[in-house]
Amino acid sequence: MSDQPSRAGRRIAAVIIAVGVCAAFYNMLVDMMPKGGLRSVEGYIPWSKETLREVETLPLQDGGRIKPFGTYAGFAMLSIHGARSMKLADAEGKEYRVKPTAWLLDILFRPQFAMRQPTFRVDNSAALEAIGVKPRGKRDRYSYEELELGREKLGELVKGFEMIEAKKRDPLQNQLADLSINMRTYESLLGYFSFARAGVVLPGSGEAGGPDRRAEMSALMMTAPQIRSQIEESRAAGNAMGGRLQGLLQQVLDAANFAKFGLFVLPPAEASDKQWQSAGNAIMNVMTGSAKDAETSIDDVKALEAIARSSGDEVAFRKHWAAFREKIEARAKARGEGGSVPLETIYQRSDKFLYAVAFFLMGTLAALGMWFGGGSKLATGLSWAVWGLTLAGLACCVSAIVMRCIIMGRPPVGNLYDTIIFIGTTVVMLSLIVEWMVGRRFALGLSPIIGTVLMILARRYELGDAKDHMDPLVAVLDSNFWLATHVITITLGYSGGLLSAFMSTGYILMRGLGLDGGDAGLRRSLTRAVYGMICLTLFLSLVGTVLGGIWANYSWGRFWGWDPKENGALMIVLWTLAILHGRLGGFLREWGLHLASVFTAIVVTFSWWHVNFLGVGLHNYGFTAGKSTIWGFYLAMLVVLIFGAVAMVLENAKKGEDRA
Amino acid sequence: MTASDPSPKRESRSWLGKAFDVLSGFGLATILLIILGLLTWFATLEQIDRGLYATLEKYFDWRTPFLLPEIGGRMVPLPLPGGYWVGVILVINLTLGGVIRIRKGWKHIGNLISHLGIIFMLIAGGVAHHFSQRGNMAVGEGETNDAAEDYFEYVVEVAEVKDGKPADIHVIGGRDISDLTRGKQRFFRFPNLPFDLEIAGYEINALPVSVVERAPSGSPLVVDGYYLMPRPEEVNAESNTAACYARVVNRDGSKQTPFILAGASFHPFTIKHENRVFTVDMRKRLWPMPFALRLDEFNAEFHPGTTRPAKFVSHVTRIEKGDESKVTIQMNEPMRYEGLTFFQASYGPPGAGPGQKLYSVFEVVHNPADMWPEYSLYIVAFGMMVTFLLKLFTYLGNTSRKKNHV
Repeated sequence: MSDQPSRAGRRIAAVIIAVGVCAAFYNMLVDMMPKGGLRSVEGYIPWSKETLREVETLPLQDGGRIKPFGTYAGFAMLSIHGARSMKLADAEGKEYRVKPTAWLLDILFRPQFAMRQPTFRVDNSAALEAIGVKPRGKRDRYSYEELELGREKLGELVKGFEMIEAKKRDPLQNQLADLSINMRTYESLLGYFSFARAGVVLPGSGEAGGPDRRAEMSALMMTAPQIRSQIEESRAAGNAMGGRLQGLLQQVLDAANFAKFGLFVLPPAEASDKQWQSAGNAIMNVMTGSAKDAETSIDDVKALEAIARSSGDEVAFRKHWAAFREKIEARAKARGEGGSVPLETIYQRSDKFLYAVAFFLMGTLAALGMWFGGGSKLATGLSWAVWGLTLAGLACCVSAIVMRCIIMGRPPVGNLYDTIIFIGTTVVMLSLIVEWMVGRRFALGLSPIIGTVLMILARRYELGDAKDHMDPLVAVLDSNFWLATHVITITLGYSGGLLSAFMSTGYILMRGLGLDGGDAGLRRSLTRAVYGMICLTLFLSLVGTVLGGIWANYSWGRFWGWDPKENGALMIVLWTLAILHGRLGGFLREWGLHLASVFTAIVVTFSWWHVNFLGVGLHNYGFTAGKSTIWGFYLAMLVVLIFGAVAMVLENAKKGEDRA
Repeated sequence: MTASDPSPKRESRSWLGKAFDVLSGFGLATILLIILGLLTWFATLEQIDRGLYATLEKYFDWRTPFLLPEIGGRMVPLPLPGGYWVGVILVINLTLGGVIRIRKGWKHIGNLISHLGIIFMLIAGGVAHHFSQRGNMAVGEGETNDAAEDYFEYVVEVAEVKDGKPADIHVIGGRDISDLTRGKQRFFRFPNLPFDLEIAGYEINALPVSVVERAPSGSPLVVDGYYLMPRPEEVNAESNTAACYARVVNRDGSKQTPFILAGASFHPFTIKHENRVFTVDMRKRLWPMPFALRLDEFNAEFHPGTTRPAKFVSHVTRIEKGDESKVTIQMNEPMRYEGLTFFQASYGPPGAGPGQKLYSVFEVVHNPADMWPEYSLYIVAFGMMVTFLLKLFTYLGNTSRKKNHV
């Protein structure tokens, strides 16, 4: 038997849900919006779509793996600019959205535009004051041109504390250190093609008092044996090197140094050599006679010169870039590298997780309609919409994870970002399975909500961390067997624990606000579902924890090392065991079980996220992104627990009164 | 009556029966699990400031019956029982409740198996805690080593120098000197040597410091212008350097001038007796291996263009009674032999340039319960699988899916 759902409860629930949905929309929009105000860059001409699509597929080496130019550009922009897009306007006020590949092409080939773009994110204006640059506000984005004034001062300041460990520096020092690294990275890209843009001045070559002639670097590289023998002859004769030759070599050295870092786009000649080369390496190796294949290196530099020279003519630029890309792809293929670059380009272009958020968000709206529609036909229709939209979101997540696995050549979870997308996906999956088993439209409605929250969390984390999470793993983690067993099991345990907590949160809100109309059958089936999920969490966490111990025993010679991550997993096991024993002993009834289940979310969050901030142990990743989110989450769960406890007491008191 | 309580007449039970009920009950199990969870949580937080080794001693050593946790150096007024004893009571509870008292029958067979597996796992933990030994062995390329070094235990070694090498080595173990703090001293007799030793003033982490360099606070014993300056224990306990005072006691009972023994010293103290030369040294305990290892080659690979390690591989030769066997030790692939396991731990020297000779460091472990956790996992996982599958099928069978929705 059930009563009518409470009207006040519905209103409160509606407000909570409305706030939640608005927050999700806001997060999604903020995530997609360009950062920083609109800046005017006179004469700006956007790159064409065809050019960008051609450029982003070039394979290069970065972070220990071969990846497409587009991926490299994305993370470079994210780490310097703090976002993947930027808004510009030309002199006529026409607005352009500049995305990573275009942004990097500007830096490489059109410094006149790049240096005026608001590229550098500065979160603390005190950093600018310290280097003598006038800030616009507490936090803003600045162009290289604006910061260049304080470049020297910045270098001096950072030199004073760069030996201090990052966590022992004050926030201002860290901001200055970050700014200095970002500027160095930017400069290495800005100056990369200077060898191609300026060529080399041949001192004393000017005829009849005219200016000295210029030669291309590749042409000069062809004469490297002659230059070397000239130097040897001077040395053998005990003569000092001639001023002209010295001037020439200085230019070569400068150009090679400018192009030494940034883009490692040239596969090495020897198969055993794993490190790809930059243009600077190629120039230096040929000039010093240490190149394994000088002819290829000269050809490579010539091709890069042709690309740089044609940057004003997009059609020619594309043609030269395509020719260069094909050459590099063929050489990478011959080395057995870069095979996943086309797939990664598709992965980056498709942005499946963004689509997943969109589907889940629409699913959330449909779910709200379904819940508020009660047993109406509209609600039934909406339930099918929820199924469809959630499954569509799930398909996006699953296909993206599968693509990542193929690209990385390893199981899906190897770092914290991987865990978020994996947990988000598996929680939705488990929730749909619960719905299929219980069939009360409760878990169904929860699925897209949880999916939205976790996928937004993943995007926020990626933005904050600004690192390529597909880069290879350190030696000790590099074991596909253990990644596929221990890591997957333990992460599924997190998923189970979170789902049980979210279901219990729903239960507590529903019962506390009187939304279930006192439907005992509904409550019972939800309680059984939560109980089952806790059992599953225990099974996965226990097996995962012990598997982790066995892995540790293989890797480090100890089954258990009291590492914070291990302890966190053990805490989940102990807590779920305590719940089950408390339930079996009759100490936890319906309310008790759900309150304990909500607390599981706190234990899981501590194990999954919080231990990474403690700065100790073998699983310490040394990141700070998302620290405040954790405390927010703890607080939210605590509010649910207090609300549940108060509701339980009030309900029991009412029951006592009724009995009396 | 609880799910596994077959006895309907509690009132009439004897005190022994009541004690059995408590010790085997779900209530005790729940409380113990929560306490263990709390201990684990506090230990996780406390190790940030206190260091892992000291925290484990505080929370999980058998000598700790009760403790007060600390977070960020501040005491939390919540007395908790020591983890070791909570574990012991949990084993009793599991045995009495989860094996003896538990309802028997095919429906509960999974739980019984799981409980047996967990008891086995806890016993494995106990065996490892009491009987395992750990150390590390560093071997340079082309060099051979047949002894590992303990991580924490400092010992006093007395040896006679014969043909320029230490011989007839006598060792005073760490447990015999580590309690000699605050004016305590102990006499160590060496029947085979022409003298005995008296040791006092042990410090777990101290440095010998010149009084000229730094004036002592208080009035420590000053020997040859040096005294022992105690330092706070390191968060990483392996970095502590123990020290003590010692003095030679002649056979006629007369005592010579004291001298300092310090783990941080580069050279041992030398004693001349008639024409014989002896050395006294404080160092981490050496653990002789039943075979020697020669490092033939060490390779450290990094992911290209990064400082991220990709692979550490040691190609070694195991030499035992003249027989040689080639073995490769690398991350996740240790060498197990004669009850000892050698793991690739680290390498050096840091920042070695090309062509420079490297050394490889192995973690050496002897653990009689080495593979027991793995076996217990199979048992527990099997038991839990049986239980949950039975519950799932029962649930699916009983669930009547109602049409009314949320």
